This record gives sequence, C-alpha cells and structure tokens, in this order.
Amino acid sequence: MLSRIADSMYWMARYLERAGETARLMEINLLYLVEAEEDMSEEYRWRPILQITSTEPMYRELFGDTGITTPRVVQFISAGRTNTSCIRTCLRLFRENARVARDRISKEMWEAVNEIWMGFNERLKTSLSAERASSLFVELRNQVARFNGLTASTMMRGEAYAFYELGGCLERADMTSRILDVKYHIILPDLSMVGSALDYYQWAALLKSLSGFEAFRRSYHAGFMPADVAEFVVLNREFPRSIAFSVERMTEALEKIGLQDKEATSVAFNWLSAMVDTTARDIFAQGLHEYLEQLLDKIGQCHAALAGDFFQ
Amino acid sequence: MYKHIPSGGKSRTPYHEFYSDDFTPRPHYQLLWDHIRSTGNNALEVKSHESQLALQAEGVTFTVYGDNEEGIERIWPFDLIPRIITASEWVKIESGLKQRVRALNLFLADLYGEQKIIKDGVIPPELIYQGKDFRREIIGIVPPLGIYTHISGIDIIRDEQGEFLILEDNLRTPSGVSYMIENRVIERRIMPEFFGKYRVRRVEHYPSLLLAALRSLSPRGKENAEIVVLTPGIYNSAYFEHTFLAKEMGVELAEGRDMVTINDIVYLKTTKGLQQVDVIYRRIDDDFLDPLVFRSDSALGITGVINAWRAGNVAIVNAPGSGIADDKAVYPFVPDIIRYYLGQQPILNNVPTYQMTSVKDREYVFDNMERMVVKAVSESGGYGMLMGPSSTPALRKEFMDLVLENPRNYIAQPVVYLSRHVCYMDSELEARHLDLRPFVIYGEDIEVVPGGLTRVALRKGSLVVNSSQGGGSKDTWVLAE
Repeated sequence: MLSRIADSMYWMARYLERAGETARLMEINLLYLVEAEEDMSEEYRWRPILQITSTEPMYRELFGDTGITTPRVVQFISAGRTNTSCIRTCLRLFRENARVARDRISKEMWEAVNEIWMGFNERLKTSLSAERASSLFVELRNQVARFNGLTASTMMRGEAYAFYELGGCLERADMTSRILDVKYHIILPDLSMVGSALDYYQWAALLKSLSGFEAFRRSYHAGFMPADVAEFVVLNREFPRSIAFSVERMTEALEKIGLQDKEATSVAFNWLSAMVDTTARDIFAQGLHEYLEQLLDKIGQCHAALAGDFFQ
Repeated sequence: MYKHIPSGGKSRTPYHEFYSDDFTPRPHYQLLWDHIRSTGNNALEVKSHESQLALQAEGVTFTVYGDNEEGIERIWPFDLIPRIITASEWVKIESGLKQRVRALNLFLADLYGEQKIIKDGVIPPELIYQGKDFRREIIGIVPPLGIYTHISGIDIIRDEQGEFLILEDNLRTPSGVSYMIENRVIERRIMPEFFGKYRVRRVEHYPSLLLAALRSLSPRGKENAEIVVLTPGIYNSAYFEHTFLAKEMGVELAEGRDMVTINDIVYLKTTKGLQQVDVIYRRIDDDFLDPLVFRSDSALGITGVINAWRAGNVAIVNAPGSGIADDKAVYPFVPDIIRYYLGQQPILNNVPTYQMTSVKDREYVFDNMERMVVKAVSESGGYGMLMGPSSTPALRKEFMDLVLENPRNYIAQPVVYLSRHVCYMDSELEARHLDLRPFVIYGEDIEVVPGGLTRVALRKGSLVVNSSQGGGSKDTWVLAE
C-alpha cells in the first residue's frame, strides 16, 4: 500500500487514542478529586495532567507564572489555541487522516468520524464549567469506544488495519508509561502513606484513568502495593491497557505487514519487546522512573523506525 | 402535622437539620443554601432528571418483594440535596458507635461462652434463651479474633432536641453501604460544584477497609485468603449490593450451590477444580446458612459449613449467632451492657423503650397506644410494626392482642419525631424526615467510615424511611475539621 496511506492510518489511530485517553484523564481528575479532605491546591491537582500530556511548557508560555487553575486547564486541554495536542486538535487531525485514507476504512467508520468531529468541534471551544466539561469528556470517551467497536467489526484485517493497530497501540503504550511515571512520582515519595485512605484514592485515580481499577482489584488482594500496581500496568498481558499488551499487539501487526529489509523497525521493536519481557522485581531494582524513561525512549525509537522504513 | 403531645415541657417539634428555629439556614448549611438559591429551580429540575438517568445507566436498583417470585426492581431513590454532619458531631457519633460495637461483641463472646452477664443478673436469662436468634448450636465456639459482628449498620436518629440517639443495631447482614457509595458517586457527578466550598470526607474506601478486615480473619493467613461474598441470588432485595461489594473488593460472588464442604473444609467449585475458601462474607440469614444445623429445608446455604467453622477452617462474617445482640428485646439492655463490659457511660443514648414483658410498661403503652411505635422484636425493614399516630383503632386492637399472646416478641417506644431536612420533591424544596445508618467495620481495629446512608421518608409527614416502604436517600457529608 502507499506509504502516505499507511502513514495516515497510523496517525488516525494515534490521534484518536490520544484524544480519548486525555478525555479520560480529565474526567477522572475533575470528578474523582473534588472531595478535598486534604488541602490540595489547584496546582497540585492539575500539574500532573500538563506533565502527562507534555503541554506544561506551552501552558507556562501562555499564562506565565500566574498559576494553574481548573478553568484554564480545562480550556487549554480541550481546545487551547497554542496547545498542539489539545483534544480538539487531535480530533481534527484524526479526521484529516481519515479523509486521506477514506477508501481504506469502512463506511460506518467514516460516518462515525464525521459524527465525532461535528459533535465536539464547537462544544470543545466554548468555555466550559467543570461539570459541563466532565460530562462532555464522558461523552467523548463513549464515542471513542463506539468507534473502536465499529472498527473491530467492520474493517478488513489487511495491511491498513495493521498500521492502524500500530498507531493505536504505540500511542497507548506511550500514554500509559507517562501516566504511570508522573502519577507514581506524586504518590510514592511518602512511604508512611502506604495503606492510608489518601493513598487509596490516589492509586484508585491512577487505575481508573486506565480503566483498570476493577480488574486490578480482582488480580491483587493485598491493597495497593506500589510494586503490584506497576507490575499490573506494565507487565500484565491480560490487561488491555498494559504496556506489554500493546507491545504484543504491535508485534502481531508487524508480522502481518512483513519485516523483510526493514532493519531499523526489526531492531527497535525487538528492543521494545525485550523491555517488557522482565519482572517487577527487576524493574524496581533498576528504578521505576529510570525504567519508564528508557521505555519511552524505546517507544520513540520504534516510531522513528516505522517512519523511516514505511512512511517516507 | 402531628398532634401536639406534651412531654415534660420539652419541645415536640421535630428538629430541623437544615434550618435553625428562625428559618435561617444553620451555619454549616449557609454556603450550600446560597448555592442552591443561585442554581434556581429549573436547573435543579434538570439535575434531578440527570441523577435518575445516571442511576438507571449504572443499574443502581433494589428489589421490592411482590406477588411474583421475581419481585419488582426499582431505581434507587436519591435526593439531590446533601445532608451535612459537622466534624464535632461526627466525633461524638464515631466514638459512640465504636463503644457500642465493642461492648456488643464482648456481650456475644460472653453469651456463647461463660454467660457471666446472666449469672451476674444484669440480663434476665429468659430474655436470651427465648430469643429466636440465640443459637445454642454454637455455644463454645470462638470465632477468629473473638469477633462476631465484623460489619454493623447502626441506625441513628435525632430527637426533637437534636440529640443523636441509637434506634436500632443491625448486626446480621446490614445492607445499604453500596448505596452510601453510589449516592456519593452520583452527587459528585451531578453536583460537583456543591463540593467546592466544603471539605467533605471521603467514603469510597469502605470496600478496601472491608477487604482488609476479611483478610485478617483468614485461617490460612492473609497472603492466601480466598474470600467469597455469599449471596442468595439475583432475586434478593440487596443483590445489587452483593455484586457491588464483590466487584469492588475483587473477590468471588458465590451462591451456596457453588460451594461444597469436604472433611470440614469449604471449597468453591471452579473450572480448575476445587478451590479452598477461607472467609465467607455471607449475606444470608443464620436460618439458611447450613441445613445440617439450622433450617433443614434451606437450599441457599452450604451443607456442613458450620462444622468447617467450628473446626477453624473457615471464617464466617458476621459470625453465626450475632443476631441475638440486635434482638429488639435486648436493645433496652444495651446501655447496661456497655456499663457492664466497659465500665463506661454510653456516649450515645437509646430511644426510651418499654418492655412488653413488664406489666407496668405494658399497661402504660396500651393506654397511650396512639403515640407509640410497637415493633416485633425479630422483624426488620419496617415490617411487623405499628405506627401509633397513623393507626386505626382496629389495628391497635389487633396489636394489643398480638402483644398479649407473646409479650417477649414485642417492644414499644414513644414516637420519636425524626429530624427533618430539606428535600427536592416535585420541583419544590420541602421538609422530610430522615435517619442515618453509619457502617462500622471490626477487624484488627474498629473503623467507621465518615458518613453513612441517610434514609428519607419520601411521603409527606411519614416517619418510615425503609426503602422497602417508600423511603429515599441522600448523600451524607461528614466535614473535615
């Protein structure tokens, strides 16, 4: 297939995944932390979101040192003019890439693409109260889920689909690593908190942002042990938002595409697979933060390899 | 609304939680009141509708037993306006509940052990031995950690002076905790702006506290605890709660037929073969627990589970036999029970109660029947009860006959005019009566989640808050200091 089409399929999936995951993060942060038993500043509540979405520098440039406030962050993440990965921009690029690849996706998918864009474009731009914003994010997340369902049930499982998979899984692995890295940093430093109620809510928020709260409870019964959470989120191959799960699916997609003469891609993905072929104990021996940094670096290399081998 | 009943000069006007006497909001309600007023009635109407949709979408229901075996599944009735408890009020409630639950557990351990309290003449023996929930079969068995009621749901009301009183101890399979949590989830979703001005303490970690308590009882140690929630099945009125707790704790939701006892060990029947069970959080009554020991026609229980329990191979939560401590005939003695075991004065008082076994009490009650509540001691959920003020002479006669037939089976209390609160009813803010059921967990420690289920009598003037009898509910906010 054309490199340009492959590139569009890949980015279409990435942008949709990013929009959906950002909406989920926002929803949890807006709702789950409203009961402020402990004094939690707005800065403390929202800075992690800016860090996870790598938009803190853009935010600081726009607002200077005048502080992080809920309405500003909501607006900035939803449709901030200067925010190149705001939700609205993700949806616009999602649709643009879908247009390029229009003949490769099903009619049902194309209609859903338009519905999503038309349904959210204007609304994301209006200034939203916290509660309106949270219901809008819930709605968006539902639309993304619907789109994923339509894709699974109507799209041909050919090469185009394989690139779509690669894009979605790469984005997901990337987001999951960032969420874990940033949130873990906030929660962990105080070991005396382990087992406390506050601790519970922080871990629950992390897992809920990954739609993995109930699944985690089923798998681990010792409460929220940091090592267990990390193991679940990074290594559990049955959890659809774990990094290992995404890596496995990318490997399958690459088999479909074929890797003859694609030296860079083969090497990059072998490294990535090797990184999730480990144990929680080894990860912690190295340091979770160091591990996740390295993982993000490898994910970046995979992306660069794909771009070099297939999209140019 | 009510006949004015003179009573030693004390006010008989129900306490209003929201307004003080001059109809201004009490200080801790002022911010909420300002917010409600600025929101306006139209917006409240929309919110009220949204909360209904949200409850429907999440499948938050309860079942009312009806004519057919399926019962009628209803959406959980939820009122938008939260009920607020101040930090200092909560300190008293919490310490009172811990004291009470500690004493009741010592009482149970004594009843099924040496029975010192009976020998010392604090409690008449017939009161215990005639109680249908006193289980002779388990005398001499010591449950893990010596605790009987790991989960208690204690009903608290406020009298006309605003004093918190204990109305009822629910120590068997108290329900409602899932609704406490769902109310919070819905309130936050529909009215997040309400929370902005208050520091509301959280309640959603209840299942994790419960899980920790259940694990601490495991005969094979915490690490290997296989825990199940035992449910009678999908037609039970509290089935929603059973699934909720199993899901939140990540443990198996099982029915009696999913388990089997072999050589005094209980096993789950799974696709991978038999799997040993360590802790059973049962949501069925003692009567149905084990056909070998209790009702032999029970198909809901696990045959042989009591022997397994006696052998120390499985923990049952709450322990069999706990029901005698919340028998309504025992209730009037709880203040004495607290004094007897702890040497302390009760922090939270009982509602004054008349014992129908006492001739003097009985005559007084019969003379004043229209201002009494008469309750059958072994019923719950608002069944088997006479509400004096709204009763007919014929019904009062019927209850007098019932009492005379079996005095041990009844108690009476003067009608307490439960406190009132503002509720959003059919586009208007109106006053309704309510109570409070906090939940107490007793594992290695006693813990009370800051909050509880506030139940509201939705019918105007009604004092009956049970959901099976047309009660509703509110989110309950305990404020941080």
